[in-house]
This record gives sequence, structure tokens and C-alpha cells, in this order.
Amino acid sequence: MTQARNERPILRRNSRRPLWQSALLYGIVIFWCFIVLFPFYWLATTSLKRPIDVSRGPKYIPFQDFQPIPDHWQEMFGTQRESTERHFRNSLISAAGSTLLSVVIGAMAGYGLSRFRYYWGRLGWDNDNIAFWIISQRFLPPAIFIVPFVLLYNAFHLIDTYGGLIIAYTMFNVPFAVWIMRDFFNGLPIDLEESARVDGANRWGAFLRIVLPLSAPGLVAVAIFSFIFAWNEYLFALMLTNFNAITMPVLIAGQNNTRGIEWWFISALTLMAVVPVIIIGLLLERFITRGLTAGAVKG
Amino acid sequence: MAAATSSMSNAREDSIMKRVFLGPAVILLLALSIFPLLWSLGISFTDMQRGGSTIARQAAAEGITGGVGFLGLGFELTGRNYERLLGDGRLHSTVRNTVFYVFFGVMIQYVIGLGLATVLNQPFRGRNIVRVIFLMPMMMTPVAAAYTGRMFFDSNPLRSPLAHFFRQFSKAIGLEQAISIPWFTDTGWAPVAILIIDAWQWIPFMTLILLAGMQAIPDDIYEAARVDGANVIQIFMRITLPILLPISMTVILIRGLEIFKIIDVVVVTTGGGPGSATESLTLYIFEQALSNGNYGYASAIAYVLLILVIIFSTLFLMAGRRLARGHVS
Repeated sequence: MTQARNERPILRRNSRRPLWQSALLYGIVIFWCFIVLFPFYWLATTSLKRPIDVSRGPKYIPFQDFQPIPDHWQEMFGTQRESTERHFRNSLISAAGSTLLSVVIGAMAGYGLSRFRYYWGRLGWDNDNIAFWIISQRFLPPAIFIVPFVLLYNAFHLIDTYGGLIIAYTMFNVPFAVWIMRDFFNGLPIDLEESARVDGANRWGAFLRIVLPLSAPGLVAVAIFSFIFAWNEYLFALMLTNFNAITMPVLIAGQNNTRGIEWWFISALTLMAVVPVIIIGLLLERFITRGLTAGAVKG
Repeated sequence: MAAATSSMSNAREDSIMKRVFLGPAVILLLALSIFPLLWSLGISFTDMQRGGSTIARQAAAEGITGGVGFLGLGFELTGRNYERLLGDGRLHSTVRNTVFYVFFGVMIQYVIGLGLATVLNQPFRGRNIVRVIFLMPMMMTPVAAAYTGRMFFDSNPLRSPLAHFFRQFSKAIGLEQAISIPWFTDTGWAPVAILIIDAWQWIPFMTLILLAGMQAIPDDIYEAARVDGANVIQIFMRITLPILLPISMTVILIRGLEIFKIIDVVVVTTGGGPGSATESLTLYIFEQALSNGNYGYASAIAYVLLILVIIFSTLFLMAGRRLARGHVS
């Protein structure tokens, strides 16, 4: 709706621009769209090519340069079905589980840091220090966790389990979740909660019934980020799984050495892992922008 | 009276509730971040290995039962891991590679990201769709981006559209020898290929945030500058860039810290080779820990990485503050 309203002044300013500037502008835009989209096009066509068309190419246009075949997709959902489904399910469960936990823990801590005053006397930390400490955990190099996590996970028998992956991803996602939610709650007027509490609701009730429903956009942003991070993560999935809980990125990376490089099959598998996330991301694009700029623009 | 008791019970309720709200996050981070951090610092001073330290294995081989090593815990306390760092040539090359990725990666991504943000900040037809398209690479798993990159940086013109393009291009301009870049087999080009793949994926991040920063600049500042007769370049250099300085610092820092972690792209494209020309610190630590089982040494290297990261961020923030002061005065 708002976009339609903005359309008119945009067009007026457009007409003021000299022709060469418009040409340059559209030139850059088209060039970059090509840079972004062509790799996806290449993945899609490669997944439909016969092996000979991949190695004796490059073939660009289906039906003209080469005859597309559905074999690799059929293989993925036919003979390889069990493997495809299992790895997809693993990715889905570990990403969804850690997303849920991150949203809950992040919203609670974000609310706490936004509405209460903390003072950790021994460290001399107030709310800002605590928030900074939490976000700084997000930027620690994960390499430093490799050895202790392997030892811990072995000790608690968490290797190759969903629980193990969910815990690790939650640890990585919570700092960002807290950061975004705190920023979001800071922008939410406090009056509504207070009037709810005058009416007899306790803190927790006000949080659940008044604050959370109002902060849906922030929660969605946190959920997308957590989900995409966990879905795409490679290092910890590689380190903490060995068979049952292997996720899509590890499966794809492993195609390298198990059967030689079968580009056509890898392309199909890659699209399978990437397309769902991109669709979710594109549909919820405005939340992503909002979430990313929450911390960055102000801080 | 009733109001007083309710506010008193509210205060008591709050002092509990505030712990309830923050508690889970703090406990999670203490258990899974601070504790492992301290633990791996401890491990870095031991000779701990997968399946027991050398001293424990020796003891087992000689049939000694009971505690051996430091406090009978089965390992020795030692500073050897840190000594070994100094003479480890492969480590030094991974440090160089990682710094290369971070420095040039951030630079390329920032410059192109800023350029694209400037373009997207102009009004034009289809801008909303274009903005969404520009975002797509960011959502791809890096492993997938790396495989796609491998298809493009294959130097065989029969397989790779990029090599094919280079060949057609050299033919068109009449070169006798077609341009052919040995992307993944040459120690000079291989890191560049990885740099490009990472840039392709993460330029959208820069673009998105810088664009948000640009859109937050009020129009009247530009109007005033135009009235004063400033041209486009002057406006960009004197107004847009200085206003974007804080946000630029933030995105550069975030991207820099992220590139310090690079591993997936390297594993999928070159596996660290040729030689160790593309190996990143994270990959080397991973191999030391999981392929070689040298837990102590891997932890020591990880601490070097952590210190590098801290030095990098501190220097960067100091430089940024100085730059910001320069602009204010």
C-alpha cells in the first residue's frame, strides 16, 4: 500500500534525471542482477543436464543447446529418497528447534534488559554492559569451541543427536536474538503493560498477553535469522554429527569425495537446500531488513 | 493502603521476575560459551590428545595404574604448545591467508556494497524487486555458494561458463593465446577465487545496511547542499560518507569478524590447497583437533585466533574513533 503511495513523487524525480544517469543506473542494476541470478540459473540448468552436457559444454539454453532431463531430480527423490529426506529432516528439526529456543530465550532476556535495571556489583556491569557482553559472544571465533565442544558432547553423549545440534545453534543464535529483541522492546511504549498490570495482571501475564503479541515483527525477524543461520551452518554440523543427524550442508559438502564430483546431482541437491530458505527469506524480506538494521543503524 | 501493599508486592515480584527473564540467556552463555572458553584455555596448556595424552598412553602401555601426570589427572601441564606455534610454518601461512581474506574481503565488499547501496537509494522503477533480488546470495548456505563458485572457476572452458567467456572474449579482441586463469590450481589465484565467492555472498549484507543508513539521512541536508551549488561527488564525499561513518564502522567490523571464521568455502573449493595456499586458521584448527586429535595444540592456536580477533577489533575501533573525531572538527 505504502509503496503505491510513494510511486508518484518517485516518477516526478525520475523525469528530472539526465538520460545518461538513468542509463548508468539501469546498466548497473541489470549487471548486478545478472551477477546474482546467473549462478542460480546455472545451478538449475545443470541439475537438468546429462553428464555429457556438463563436461562438453558449456550449454546455456535448455531445448536449444541441450535436452533437459529430470533424471537427477528423480534420483534424488527415487533411489536417494531415504538419504535426501533424512538429511532434509535433520536440517529442519535442528533449525526449527534452535529457532524456537532462541526466540523464547532471546525475547525473555531482551525484555528483561529493556524493562528492568540490572547491576552486577562484582563486575560493576549495568544493562548496557550486560547487553554488550551478550552480543560479543556472537563474534567469538567458533574455532575456539571446537575442542571443548567435542569433549563435552562426548561426555554427555550428545554427538550425532538433534538435541546436540539444537543446543549448539541456540548458543550461537541467542546473542543476536537478545540484541534485536531488546532494541525492539525499547521502542515499545510501556503504558500498555502498566495499564494491564493496574488491571491485575502480573509481569509474566503482561509479557505473554500484551508485549509478545505487539512484538510479532521483532519475533519474526529473530526467527528468520536463527533459522537461516542454523539451516546454513556447516562447521558444527560437521563436527558434532557423524551419521544420524547430518544436515544438508554437510551432505552437500560430502558429495565431493564419496562419488566423485557429479555436478548435476550436486546442483539438484544444492537447490533443494537453498530454495526453501530463499523463498522464506524473500517473502519475509522486510523483517530481515528491520532486524539487521535494529542493532546496526543505531549502534 | 491497598495500593501500597500492591506496589510492595510488585517490587518483590519484580526482583524475582527480572532474574527469571534474564536467567536462561545468562545460564546458557555461561555454560556453553564462558565455560568452554576457560576450559580450552586450560587445555591449551596441556598435552591433551584424543584418546588420552602421551603420558597417559605411556603409563597404560607400561601397565601403571592410578594417577599419572599433573595432579594425577592423566596429562601434563606444559607451555610447549605455545612454543610450537612459533616454529609452525603451516600455521604462519594460515594466519597470512586469514588476514588476507579479512582485509581484502572487507574492502571489496564495502566498496561494492556502498556503490550498490547508492544505486538502490536512487528512485527508479522496479526498485523493490531489485532490492529483493540483490539479497538472494546472503540466504544461500556457504557450502552451496562454494560449489557454485567451483563450477564457475573451473578453468576448463568446456565446463565453466566463466572460462568459456574468457576464451570467447580473447578471440573477439584477437588474442593469440586465450586468457585462461588457473583459479584453483595456482597459489596466487586460489585465494582470490575464495575471496570472490565470499564477496558475492556477502555484498548484499553491506548493501542492505548501508542502504538503510542512507535512507535515514534527511532530504533537506541534500537540498541545502544543492542550493549551495555542491555537485554530486561533493555531496557524496562531504555529506553521505561522513554521515555513514558510524554505520560503516559497524558493518566493516561485523563482516571482518565473520570472515575471521571462514572455513566452509575453503573446505568445499580447495580443501586448503594447493599446498596450504588457501587454508584458513579455522580450517587448520579443525584439522589439528579432529583429524590429528591434538587437542592441546588446537586450543593454543584457537587462542591465537582469539587474540588476533581482539587486536583487530580494538585497533579498528580506535582508528574509527580517531576518524570520527577528524570529521567532527
